[in-house]
Amino acid sequence: TMLKGMTRLISRVHKAKHGEQHEGQHYNIPLQDLKAVFPHGLPPRFVMQVKTFNEACLMVRKPALELLHYLKNTNFAHPAVRYVLYGEKGTGKTLSLCHIIHFCAKQDWLILHIPDAHLWVKNCRNLLQSTYNKQRLDQPLEASIWLKNFKTANERFLSQIKVQEKYVWNKRESTEKGSPLGEVVEQGITRVRNATDAVGIVLKELKRQSSSGIFHLLVAVDGVNALWGRTTLKREDKSPIAPEELALIYNLRKMVKNDWHGGAIVLTLSQTGSVFKPRKAFLPQELLGKEGFDTLDPFIPILVSNYNPKEFESCIQYYLENNWLQHEKAHTEDGKKELLFLSNTNPGQLERLCAYL
Amino acid sequence: MHRFRIPWSLFPVFRHSLRHAGTPRAVLVGSSWPAKMAAPAVKAARAWSGLALGLRNAVLRLPGLTQVRWSRYGPEYKDPHIDKEYYRKPLAELTEEENYERELRKTQLIKAAPATKTCSVFEDPVISKFTNMMMKGGNKVLARSLMTQTLEAVKRKQFEKYHAASAEEQATIERNPYTIFHQALKNCEPVIGLVPILRGGHFYQVPVPLGDRRRRFLAMKWMITECREKKHRRMLMPEKLSHELLEAFHNQGPVIKRKHDMHKMAEANRALAHYRWW
Repeated sequence: TMLKGMTRLISRVHKAKHGEQHEGQHYNIPLQDLKAVFPHGLPPRFVMQVKTFNEACLMVRKPALELLHYLKNTNFAHPAVRYVLYGEKGTGKTLSLCHIIHFCAKQDWLILHIPDAHLWVKNCRNLLQSTYNKQRLDQPLEASIWLKNFKTANERFLSQIKVQEKYVWNKRESTEKGSPLGEVVEQGITRVRNATDAVGIVLKELKRQSSSGIFHLLVAVDGVNALWGRTTLKREDKSPIAPEELALIYNLRKMVKNDWHGGAIVLTLSQTGSVFKPRKAFLPQELLGKEGFDTLDPFIPILVSNYNPKEFESCIQYYLENNWLQHEKAHTEDGKKELLFLSNTNPGQLERLCAYL
Repeated sequence: MHRFRIPWSLFPVFRHSLRHAGTPRAVLVGSSWPAKMAAPAVKAARAWSGLALGLRNAVLRLPGLTQVRWSRYGPEYKDPHIDKEYYRKPLAELTEEENYERELRKTQLIKAAPATKTCSVFEDPVISKFTNMMMKGGNKVLARSLMTQTLEAVKRKQFEKYHAASAEEQATIERNPYTIFHQALKNCEPVIGLVPILRGGHFYQVPVPLGDRRRRFLAMKWMITECREKKHRRMLMPEKLSHELLEAFHNQGPVIKRKHDMHKMAEANRALAHYRWW
């Protein structure tokens, strides 16, 4: 095929110059960048692949290119536009989101990346009653983990952004007005009880200050359908908890509303981690429900679909170059046809198939 | 020898199927041991041992044999030919015999192909057999997923070693999980086995040469039992299996040790070899 030997971008083309001619080709992310930009948020199988190959290569695909085009032409004076990546299981929504995040990180945007909102609505052991608002519930563990990762991803901004209000944590500790945001984050990491409130403060401050123009804000949420659904969590008296009663979810919903400007909001729907949703559901209406769809209403939906033949060929070539396909028959035409049939050109399935061949 | 049992009564075997009323089922009526032992196993039409079809019919009609594992198909049913290349050959290229065979198969009765046998290029009979042996309670989905996870684990471990090694060592490191699997099982096969033989009221363990199939079965059985029993409670099967396979590939590890133990026992009981009469 015409792509033989050209699956890698031979020169490290700057992300800003990715265009339609690069579709189907892989580009390399240096490993230090990976640790800095993605302390959390990469799919676990991709992390394993990075560890095995000693390099991180993402394929440039149409949905990501479309989004990059929109982001390059954003008007920061208008309210933030919401983009929703949707598609069937295994088509590459999370990796497209990671591509966008890497691009924005290179452009020096502030990345607010929630790796998987489903983790905040299920399997939560410690729920505390929130100190700020008696009706809501805190999740100290999840909040502190997220704050740690947020700190790693956005070190340089934490000293630049100043808090615009005084926050009193308890009788002895408070954060003064004008102190850097890093202090709030530190407070949340060290005092785990106040971690959820720290997250809420961070979100509020960033939303307020994104309009000022010092930085551009990218809100990236994976599995956003968790915000409007049901949770599997229960109180001690076995009564179910609605998502609004969790402080993290409440604050995140405010973030995803488009009443601020100076950035963009990129969301991904995901059925894989969701609770109480049928397996075959992938459309926004099905996964978000009426409430979620109405809240998100003017948004730009971007469908992420399976590989087209060019991308499939490129993926196989990438695996062959790394010697990942060790089976002798995998190199033949028959083998490739069989892989195409077995995976139905679904990227996730293809990756799982090639892992043991 | 466990395939043919000796009914101590002299009644003929009950004929179950009226469909196969025409075909005689071999009946045991007090014939001698050598005749029974000399007959080859009847379930022979498989990829590994290729018995000609004519011989199979002859064996079925031999007196003095009862089959313990039999199929519902009569001897007139032929085995299906599962090979894309065989059917893709254009008619002009066929030789005389192949043409004759094709014509013959159009009118003959053919057995149904088993669900596990596919014309996939990635199919491997050894892997399928191993997966079946790992299966518990008919849960083939679980067994297959464990097998694929094991192959993946072997591959990832070898890749790590490859990246950590220097240039000369990189040539020696084998990364194909299938070659590692086959070589490991070949290394685990015992050459000689022990068989309990009843003499004078006592069972003696007599050293005996094992056939191909028995050796392959023993290698796989030992590998699976080893991985099921000697592991930490929380360790998963693919992890343990991949570790054992890699050790067996390098001729180390507990399964190889078991093979050597078997060989040593056979060597120790060398004197009893005379008790074998076949």
